[in-house]
Amino acid sequence: MARKRIKVSRRMLFTWCILAGLILFFSPQTWTNTLQFAFARAFRWPLSVGRNISLAGRTRQYPQNAKTLRDVQYQNYIANLEEQLRQKQEKIELLQGLRDRLYALEGAGLMVADVIKCSIDASRGELIINRGENEGLAIGQYVLGDNSIIGVISGISARQARVKLITDSTFKTDTGINIPRLKVEGMMRGNGNNTAAINLVKHQAKVGDGVFINKKPGFLDAPMIIGRVIKCQKNPDTPLLWDIVVAPACEIETLNVVAVIIMNPEK
Amino acid sequence: MRWIRFAVFILIATVLQASLVDVIAVTTLNIKPDLLLIALVFFAIYSSTTEAVLTSFVTGFASDIISTSPMGAQIISYVIFGTLLAYLHRLVAIRKMPYQAAAIFVIGMCVLLSSYFLNSLRGQETITNIYKTAFGTSLYSCVIGPFFFLPCAWWMRLKTYRFSRH
Repeated sequence: MARKRIKVSRRMLFTWCILAGLILFFSPQTWTNTLQFAFARAFRWPLSVGRNISLAGRTRQYPQNAKTLRDVQYQNYIANLEEQLRQKQEKIELLQGLRDRLYALEGAGLMVADVIKCSIDASRGELIINRGENEGLAIGQYVLGDNSIIGVISGISARQARVKLITDSTFKTDTGINIPRLKVEGMMRGNGNNTAAINLVKHQAKVGDGVFINKKPGFLDAPMIIGRVIKCQKNPDTPLLWDIVVAPACEIETLNVVAVIIMNPEK
Repeated sequence: MRWIRFAVFILIATVLQASLVDVIAVTTLNIKPDLLLIALVFFAIYSSTTEAVLTSFVTGFASDIISTSPMGAQIISYVIFGTLLAYLHRLVAIRKMPYQAAAIFVIGMCVLLSSYFLNSLRGQETITNIYKTAFGTSLYSCVIGPFFFLPCAWWMRLKTYRFSRH
């Protein structure tokens, strides 16, 4: 029996396609995230091969006084310890006898995850990692790369999670950041072009100054380095104040492994 | 249209766009060409209008799958502008490489900006550098896009010198 051919007019086909787009557009993001995660999971192998090839063609650029990746990691580690020590000393001076945790990650679990996909362009900065709700990850948890904060978990499925990088143009610190050398505090937001900005600061920062994210109960117990100052210029509208441009404390694009900070994990 | 070849083609383009295209990113803004945008223009030009609607939908879906923003906006933009280009091609034949490049540039700007505005309607946060990104991506795509048309046509077994206007 000959198969009956269904004829659909162009107008009807166009309407159906737009309708399908609208359904996806108005669907909850958690549902559509499932599709995006499914693609990343299904094509994990070719995506990681492609990423490795693109990384191989890229030369690493290290910050000042660092020649190797190990140097960068040590510098960030030392910066974290110095800042924690400084805060510790302040606390000891002010609140004698009060004991507190010495190390930011004491009592925290670190969930190591592989980077499946890295999307960094002019407006967005995002990673997809191979750990999810099943491993205890939750939205808002901080993500470490080379001993520095590189972003927060912004979307999650059972086995994968989306990390919004500090340079993403929609990233904004929900807790304050500080530059210890200047004793200034402020809020930082991503610029998109692999940098972030702290605007309207009272003091001039120097290139290379460490920028630390403040502690956030339940997510981070002590300040940790989030970036370094790469540029400081007068605000065009308010010349008495300064705009600071911050670069991540490590080269995020080249990271293959990151760690998610899970405070007080269930044992 | 050979739909299996089309599916394989879109799959490869999607995986390449999500991974290997980073190698040829330029400037500090990480501007890279959009292979799916080039595919959208290619199929809008070299296939019938009905097929152009379907291919626009599939390329839009693929673009949404690998994007970092919520799904839907790019499908809508791809379908609208892919269909418009297919209809335009019935009136004005886009045969020469400069015209093809211009088509990629204009469609690229329209698709990227409209999907951004659709996302902002949905309450997504404002993205900085969107105009620079759209301009850079469209420009980069239009420079290299026409050179991909011949291998694409070979893979799809399409004859590029014949321009059907269904």
